[in-house]
Amino acid sequence: MSDEHLHGNSIHDAPPNPYLEKHTTPQQTEALEKRVRTLESLLIKKGLVSAETLDKLVETYENDIGPLNGAKVVARAWADPAYKERLLKDATPAIAELGFSGLQGEHMVVVENTPRVHNMVVCTLCSCYPWPVLGLPPAWFKEAAYRSRSVVDPRGVLRDFGLTLDESVAVKVWDSSAEIRYMVLPERPAGTEGMSEDELVALVSRNSMIGVTKVESPAS
Amino acid sequence: MSSTPNRKISNMEGDPALPRRNGELVFHDAWERRAFALAVILCEQGHYQWAEFRDHLIAEIGAADEGEVESPDTSFPGYYEHWLASFEKVLVAKGICTPDQLSPKTSK
Repeated sequence: MSDEHLHGNSIHDAPPNPYLEKHTTPQQTEALEKRVRTLESLLIKKGLVSAETLDKLVETYENDIGPLNGAKVVARAWADPAYKERLLKDATPAIAELGFSGLQGEHMVVVENTPRVHNMVVCTLCSCYPWPVLGLPPAWFKEAAYRSRSVVDPRGVLRDFGLTLDESVAVKVWDSSAEIRYMVLPERPAGTEGMSEDELVALVSRNSMIGVTKVESPAS
Repeated sequence: MSSTPNRKISNMEGDPALPRRNGELVFHDAWERRAFALAVILCEQGHYQWAEFRDHLIAEIGAADEGEVESPDTSFPGYYEHWLASFEKVLVAKGICTPDQLSPKTSK
């Protein structure tokens, strides 16, 4: 039996977006396929596009864009020490400063990763997650394996994500609830000193803000 | 062509915002992917500014919102249907295609 009902689903999910569900009938889909094919062959014939560049472009967008709101918060904190201080002190208004709201009464807490402390976030009870900044939770976040093992064996979970931490680094696991949502402020990687805030945003992955990976240095 | 997403496109907010689930783009069918790519590539090639495409998209979405009667069994156009209609309008407006080169509109 799922624990989801304990808090009610509405609190956990992003507002409904009608575009996330498919609406077209098979007939409509076929007609749309044809309409796009007509356009595509017309543009290929004009020499404006090639099938290969189309595939490549979609791949770029599918792989490289992530939870941007959270990434913007992280990049601002890296770039602006005063903002970082406000964020760590009281995250909810600091996040709202960037125009991200939509939290329904829950309180945001941002925890900072340092060379000595590694934070990671779990929701042992169900799948509480700060969706206004991180989007909807990945499937594994909701799985019992992650939820229970993060508490018992966090280092093992991190190793599964490819992150092996030195024994001297303390691991803290934060359990989200209906009232408090945690987000990790990852360490700013080396080699990013001269980067603009926009460039930094592109480096920040969803998993680094849940605390199961680090932000990779752009050189690697 | 650039190998990183254009933030003017990926960061659109409000009505024209790209449908995403957990930050990742949501496509239901192959034609949606291709329609997405075609509009982005022609913009990157400089045939139009992204703002021009976006304005068409906002108008398409707005027109659908006004015209649609709330009813559970009315099938209403999805995001990439608006996207496709906007793309066709931009192509015609920019003289890249003529209206008769385009397929007749999908019947509802």
